[in-house]
Amino acid sequence: MEWLSSRVLKAFWRPSVNIVRTRYHAEKQQLVRRYGYEEKIWCGGLLPRSNGRSLPIPEYRPANPWTQRKALYGQNDYIDILGNKGLHPVKTLYTIPTWIKGVSGNEYHIMLRKKKMLATTSYPKLRPTKWKDLEKRLKYLYRRLNQKTKTGMSGN
Amino acid sequence: MASLLINALRKIHISTPQIRSSFLSSSAVCSNTLTITKKDWKYPPQYTKPREVWIENVDTVEEKKLGLFELHPLVYAATPRIDIIQRNVIWQRKFRWVSWAHTKTRAEVRGGGKKPWPQKGQGRARHGSIRSPLFRGGGVAHGPRSGKTHFYMLPFHLRIHGLTSTLSAKLAQDDLHVVKDLELPSDEPEYLIDLIESRNWGPSVLIVDDTDYAPRNLTVASDSLPHVNIMPVYGLNVYSMLKHDTLILTQSAAEKIEERILHYLHSDTKKQQAQFKLDQV
Repeated sequence: MEWLSSRVLKAFWRPSVNIVRTRYHAEKQQLVRRYGYEEKIWCGGLLPRSNGRSLPIPEYRPANPWTQRKALYGQNDYIDILGNKGLHPVKTLYTIPTWIKGVSGNEYHIMLRKKKMLATTSYPKLRPTKWKDLEKRLKYLYRRLNQKTKTGMSGN
Repeated sequence: MASLLINALRKIHISTPQIRSSFLSSSAVCSNTLTITKKDWKYPPQYTKPREVWIENVDTVEEKKLGLFELHPLVYAATPRIDIIQRNVIWQRKFRWVSWAHTKTRAEVRGGGKKPWPQKGQGRARHGSIRSPLFRGGGVAHGPRSGKTHFYMLPFHLRIHGLTSTLSAKLAQDDLHVVKDLELPSDEPEYLIDLIESRNWGPSVLIVDDTDYAPRNLTVASDSLPHVNIMPVYGLNVYSMLKHDTLILTQSAAEKIEERILHYLHSDTKKQQAQFKLDQV
């Protein structure tokens, strides 16, 4: 009987059901990822300007074009024409080491000349590591130029 | 623009009668002091006329013409070949240039002999040395190697023509002046500044003398002026002539330059140059 009455009640009485939300999307808090990590890179926008302070621009320091070195650059370069006999501009390059003065060539040529000229001096004894590196590099370049590359190509 | 033109016209208007008056006064009043030299060269010019220049003074701020002087057209009136001048400047910048930039190869960096980890079984990439170019702190592959030269010699005659071209261009542009000597009355830089200003010499001035020692007054005065420089004849070069606006030659320096260049223009330079050939390895 009880079963029947409940069936009848269910058939005739239908209450309206509303879904009540207790948690809204707008109220959701954003998940904080990597809490405690400070971002080092600026990711706020296009131009990072901080509190009205301007960006650091290096101070403009114009170079002096009339230092003694620049003002007299090239002096004595025509000494073989305008000077006395037996002089040559290459001989006036006092600041350049002798083994490279007035030499043109690739790395192998220049190192070979350096080795030849410094072998008779105390350089091998004073700078043993540099001397070893020089010989090692020469050996490597010799093999590369003679055995690994075609003749006529430049060494470097 | 218009004001510039007016200024220029005014300047011309003012300056022309001055020159004429000074010329008239010097020729009329002191005609015996105005020396006019006709020169006998060892190699006289064949097809072109010698160029005439005034000999100026430096002992007063106002310009005085002391005489007329002839310059050889082969040296001072050659065709100003800009391409040759450019090649000369490039050569001057390059022939002394040695690049000392240097990097170490994997062989030269300390250490790196041991295999860092076994070839297989670690799940790591295979490596043979911690100094390989792939490693931080390793050697550099194809880096700059120290002692890279850019040396070459410009052919001798191109260098001679570089000098004549530049001298001719300077003379044609009124930037070359010949003075009698370099004896200044005072050693104050203000005097030299006034002199340069009134003569309308460029901001920067290159003074060339025949001797190694310039007069003391000039050296003291130009010491504090970095753009006024003194050179002996053998120091003269294309780069400096172009760097300085005005070139001031003393009479003897002009003659010396002429004599040297004419000598090499009329002689066989092959033998003379042979002794400077470098014996490379």
